[in-house]
Amino acid sequence: MKTKMLTCLTLLLACGFGLFVFADSHEKEEDMNKLVFPKAYKTTAVSNGGKISGVVKFDGEVPEMKKLEITKDKAVCGVTDKFDEALVVGEGNVLKNTIVYLMDISQGKDFDKEAKPELDQKNCRFNPHVQLIPVGTALTVLNNDKATHNVHIFGTSKNNTSVNKQQTKNRKKMRLTGAKGAEGPVEVKCDIHGWMKAWVAYVPHPYFAVTNEKGEFTLEDVPPGDYKLGYWHEACGTNNKEPVKVTVAAGGEVKQDFTLKLKEAK
Amino acid sequence: MRSKNVVYLILILGLLSVYNLIFAQDAPEVSEKGKEVYEESCAHCHGTEGRGDGSAAENLLPQPRDFTRGLYKIRSTESGQLPTDQDLFDIITEGMPGSSMPGWETSLKADERWEVVAYIKTFYDGFKESETPPRQISLEGKIPYSEESIEIGKGLYTQFACFECHGQVGRGDGTSAPTLQDEWGFQSWPANLAQGWNFRGGNDIDDIYKRFIGGIAGSAMPMFEDPAFGLTIEQSIRYNELDNKVEMTEAEEEEYNQLDEKMGNAFEILDLMAEGSADEEQKQSYATAMKAFYEKSWHLANYVKSLSSEKRPEPAIGKNVLRSQYTEDDLPQIMDAAWDTLDSSYFPLVGQIIIEPRQFNPTIDSVNAKSFYNDTEVAFLFTWDDRTNNTEVKENEDTGKTFEDAIAIQFPVKIPKSPTAEKPYFLWGGRKAVYLWEWKASAADKITELTAKGINNAEEQEIQGDLQVEGKYTDGQYNLWIKRALKTDDKKDLQLEPGVFVPIAFSAWDGANGDVGTKRVISSWYSFVLEPVPSSRRFIYPPLVALLSFGLLVGLREFVRQRNT
Repeated sequence: MKTKMLTCLTLLLACGFGLFVFADSHEKEEDMNKLVFPKAYKTTAVSNGGKISGVVKFDGEVPEMKKLEITKDKAVCGVTDKFDEALVVGEGNVLKNTIVYLMDISQGKDFDKEAKPELDQKNCRFNPHVQLIPVGTALTVLNNDKATHNVHIFGTSKNNTSVNKQQTKNRKKMRLTGAKGAEGPVEVKCDIHGWMKAWVAYVPHPYFAVTNEKGEFTLEDVPPGDYKLGYWHEACGTNNKEPVKVTVAAGGEVKQDFTLKLKEAK
Repeated sequence: MRSKNVVYLILILGLLSVYNLIFAQDAPEVSEKGKEVYEESCAHCHGTEGRGDGSAAENLLPQPRDFTRGLYKIRSTESGQLPTDQDLFDIITEGMPGSSMPGWETSLKADERWEVVAYIKTFYDGFKESETPPRQISLEGKIPYSEESIEIGKGLYTQFACFECHGQVGRGDGTSAPTLQDEWGFQSWPANLAQGWNFRGGNDIDDIYKRFIGGIAGSAMPMFEDPAFGLTIEQSIRYNELDNKVEMTEAEEEEYNQLDEKMGNAFEILDLMAEGSADEEQKQSYATAMKAFYEKSWHLANYVKSLSSEKRPEPAIGKNVLRSQYTEDDLPQIMDAAWDTLDSSYFPLVGQIIIEPRQFNPTIDSVNAKSFYNDTEVAFLFTWDDRTNNTEVKENEDTGKTFEDAIAIQFPVKIPKSPTAEKPYFLWGGRKAVYLWEWKASAADKITELTAKGINNAEEQEIQGDLQVEGKYTDGQYNLWIKRALKTDDKKDLQLEPGVFVPIAFSAWDGANGDVGTKRVISSWYSFVLEPVPSSRRFIYPPLVALLSFGLLVGLREFVRQRNT
């Protein structure tokens, strides 16, 4: 009897231990969907820097873009058709809204001080769908609708930076200071119009680009050296596990294309 | 001498505890004790690592707090700030009504609760890193609760766009309600403001005010900003008035533009303040605008407070039993004012968690009932809040599958001889059968009579059509009117007689919450009775008896006197 109980107890303990180990392996999963940032970044003058450019393409059957159901404020929101922008594939399978960036750059140029990141709300759609915000720069959110929105920028596990502010039709413009450190991309949502979604990434250096309609990206003024080139895409995930290694020569140009597949469904 | 010492000690201890009550405390240093208590009492839901992923977490909605993110819903601090130690202590002590978080006041000693506060804070580094204490929401300038303030608040409720989620009259039935999610992607229903007893952070006016100013972090509830910032209450009412006009006169247009400009400037200053680059003059006008905003928020808090009773109503037992009121007239129809003359009886509902599939996260709080009867018929009015009107089964990619809303009213087939006699099993009967009226939102004018001997063992009765019914859904609330003869020809039906206590119970389904079949909310047995009318014969018999006895006494006296003479 006693031995039986002991066996049971051991088994139970073993199971418990197993669960712990399992739970721990979960922890990093979230990081796999985020960008990788250097530990520190120093701005220096860059002369005769190189250039990295390329095209991001989608590999796989391109699903038809899902038309979003407009459930309220139809007079304002229903004026234009809206689609789920998680996967925007253009002619020739080119992939829009992919962030391509240098993961491990520790020094280089400064941000373009003139740039003012803007998030527009018109006919109850966020534009752009994916954008980069230099850390410490305010995001200007526009309300071009005769409707009340709420701008809800999600927090992440690392930083308590969730922002959720109402923006009624009276407030055409509002500036939001978001994360104090690099993080993201994080989701932006309007809870009032549940279909409105976008992404922002708070970035610590300027070597980030978002692909355009043609799937193109360019990183300029890259100090000569060896780098890891990473990407992030809402539906296709990241290459955090296997970043691409590139070598940039002074004044040189590196071509690096990517072909992305849909993230495996969990 | 010794007893004197004891008295001093008690005095000091007493003073200390009063001090504790008055002055908010900070958590002690992290101790082994805190970890121990946490793992014993909290980890089942919140997980040993504080990620909100304990073994019981799966079935809970709202989900247990993930302490590693530093996002706390209920705080006395401003938006984007961490909670104070006292905030955490209060939540542990009082629990969160309407969620699975119980209050620990009785099961954990105060010092144990403080140790837990200290331990919980270790899960999120931000607590260590922040040098300054979190900025607390000031309760200065509180406006007393009054009819006038409520009226102003009502107007602001629309201006602040609260109705988008909470609905026109506040039952949590706004047009955005069905799609709301928290940051973890879980469905997050807006509060039903008519049920203040379910507010997670309490329903004192101060609590409500803090939720406006600080927002509910991680949920869809945003931090509120004055939609007419920089305008006084009068000006913002006027602005709204003009804004809603189809056509404005030239003078009105000018007035509108002036207000609009004033507001635009105030918003610009608001942004400058947030960025820390406002000058002295701007700071001044910011302070004035904020004062007006806080004033508006207090009015709004007073209005929200007015939408709900102070406490959860007493359930329909004892003197609150559902008593059908006798009337000589025709029974009232569904929307008749006559119903307003009756108090309702409150039947609390809970999730059905005995038989699979279960409902762990109910959304329907209760059913309220009223009843009238006359010499031949009885009429009921059942009322319950449901945030959405679901009349069909629907597949939706974002919100999942939804079903149709429904209710079932249950009676025993055989009325027990006494209130203490055994009733059928409360979950749709068992060995003893129950008799049911089942109504579905898809067919508002139809009701089905069932006999059941178990939750999965119900049959439609052969003879239907003894009941008249009408159902209505408005502003997040169902009203169901049912009328029937006191006696029917169908032997299987319930036969009613004044003065007889009849057991009554309910099942209800909120289709948007995935309720279908056994997944539903239920009540236990309550009672209802056709309140007997005191008979008019009471004016005849008692005087008659008195007269007779008097006559008898007189006769007796006469008889005795005659015998004596």
